[in-house]
Amino acid sequence: MRFSSFIYLFGQGLHNMRANRMMTFASMGVLTVCMLLIGTAFLLGVNIDYMVDYLGDQNFVVAYLDEGVTEEDRAAVEAQIGAMPGVAGITYNSPEAVLQEYSGMLGQYTNLQEVFANDNPFRANYQVTLTDVSQMEAVVARLEGLGHIYRVNAPLAVQQLFLSLQKVITYGSYGLVAVLGLVSIVVINNTIRITVFARRREIGIMKLVGATNGFIRFPFFVEGTASGLLSAVIASGIVCGGYYYLAQWYAAHPTNLTQLFGGELVPLEQVWYLVVAAFVAFGFILCGIGTATSIRKHLNV
Amino acid sequence: MIEFQHVYKTYETHSDENVALQDISLKINEGEFVFVRGHSGAGKSTFLKLMLMEERPDKGRGKIFLNGQDLTKLRRRKIPYMRRKLGVVFQDFRLIPTMTVYENVAFAMRVTNISNKVIRNRVPYVLSLVGLEDKMDRLPDELSGGEQQRVAVARALAHGPKVIIADEPTGNIDPELSMDIMQLFEAINKVHITVVVVTHEHELVNSLAARYGNRVITLAHGRIAADTADPEVARRYLANGGQPVPELSYSV
Repeated sequence: MRFSSFIYLFGQGLHNMRANRMMTFASMGVLTVCMLLIGTAFLLGVNIDYMVDYLGDQNFVVAYLDEGVTEEDRAAVEAQIGAMPGVAGITYNSPEAVLQEYSGMLGQYTNLQEVFANDNPFRANYQVTLTDVSQMEAVVARLEGLGHIYRVNAPLAVQQLFLSLQKVITYGSYGLVAVLGLVSIVVINNTIRITVFARRREIGIMKLVGATNGFIRFPFFVEGTASGLLSAVIASGIVCGGYYYLAQWYAAHPTNLTQLFGGELVPLEQVWYLVVAAFVAFGFILCGIGTATSIRKHLNV
Repeated sequence: MIEFQHVYKTYETHSDENVALQDISLKINEGEFVFVRGHSGAGKSTFLKLMLMEERPDKGRGKIFLNGQDLTKLRRRKIPYMRRKLGVVFQDFRLIPTMTVYENVAFAMRVTNISNKVIRNRVPYVLSLVGLEDKMDRLPDELSGGEQQRVAVARALAHGPKVIIADEPTGNIDPELSMDIMQLFEAINKVHITVVVVTHEHELVNSLAARYGNRVITLAHGRIAADTADPEVARRYLANGGQPVPELSYSV
């Protein structure tokens, strides 16, 4: 194709957009909403991943020892825990150390060291750090299988909740992208169909004077993909802007719950290019498909 | 130049089939001026559509050649390039109402990948050939029917085709202007462009053919009933049980 022809056909596509501006506006509105939903699902997924990772970094379980365990037994248990698969490290807390920690916390009210000087109610425990949060269940089972272990404390429920939440959101996002993708194809298909109908006389003339299908199709592709790209730009602006302020607000208003998960969202700098790239690809590819499927029928003159 | 060899065309609907053309054989030579006439339903439109490759003949029943190339074997992708060798004029002009006269002609060239420089030179030239160089910036609706048809002729000439095909070119034009359009085609034929005019206006054909000695092919019931270039055709048609068409009878 000649450059001047390219410019001409490109201009024709943009002219079509202006000529059916109401339809262009409506289809871009629907596309933008689709992208907003997809972007929201994506950012939610990213943050859930982030929180799961954060919880993963806090991945230790606490194993309490039976009372009155001898030094030799304790050494044996420590060796056994240290040799377990999935265990990254262990820290021993003697009953005295635990008492000291708590008395430090309550220092201004009472002196725990004095109260419990001869009758320490705390048990010795091991803080067992895991190599990977997914190992938690297995390690807990192994710890409970050891002798001289009184009880194992692990945030298993929270961890499982998050793993399943992560899974639901991942699959939910896939489903959402598929459904909204289909919606976008139908919307663009319809818009281009209306343009094609409005220009059927021109298309007929183009066919008769020997214009190739590529030449006839090109302006419609320009129209369809330009709508898609424009929607991508608008949606990117809304999603990234909205997310930026949400992240700021989230960090500025900590609560107990948010503190549990690290107290901040994934920073915008780490995700904005993914959002923009996905929107542009989504707009371009789906609008291309929508255009191709709508004009095929009209090319057989 | 254009050759039909035993061409059949049947339109099939889900319940029955309608034979539009049967056993059409003819040869139009380069530089000829040919009228193809017949009543409505005689197969004129189908004949035209076959030449423009809007329709294809029945499978395995006949061949159509343009410049020695078999159109029945032409790939779909190649059709546009073949059409550029033809210039087509229609009864309803087929101009784009929102474009000026100049733009209408330029449009046909732009969409076939012709450079701006060539378009700028060629459009005023072809418009001057049809006598409309001073109405280039008008919209089609501001012109008379005869003038609109001349714009369509200019558009057909824009690519410099070897053949001009006209489908009832005078059908939407005042009778007194019909002769002007026909004489325009005669002038085009003078510069060695082959002209095929399909029409049902028998008086016009008779008077023109008498004056310029044009070849006249008569279609009836999907068959060639007569051809002034070959008296044998009419004899064969009648011998094969063809119905005579009195008002179409034309003697050289």
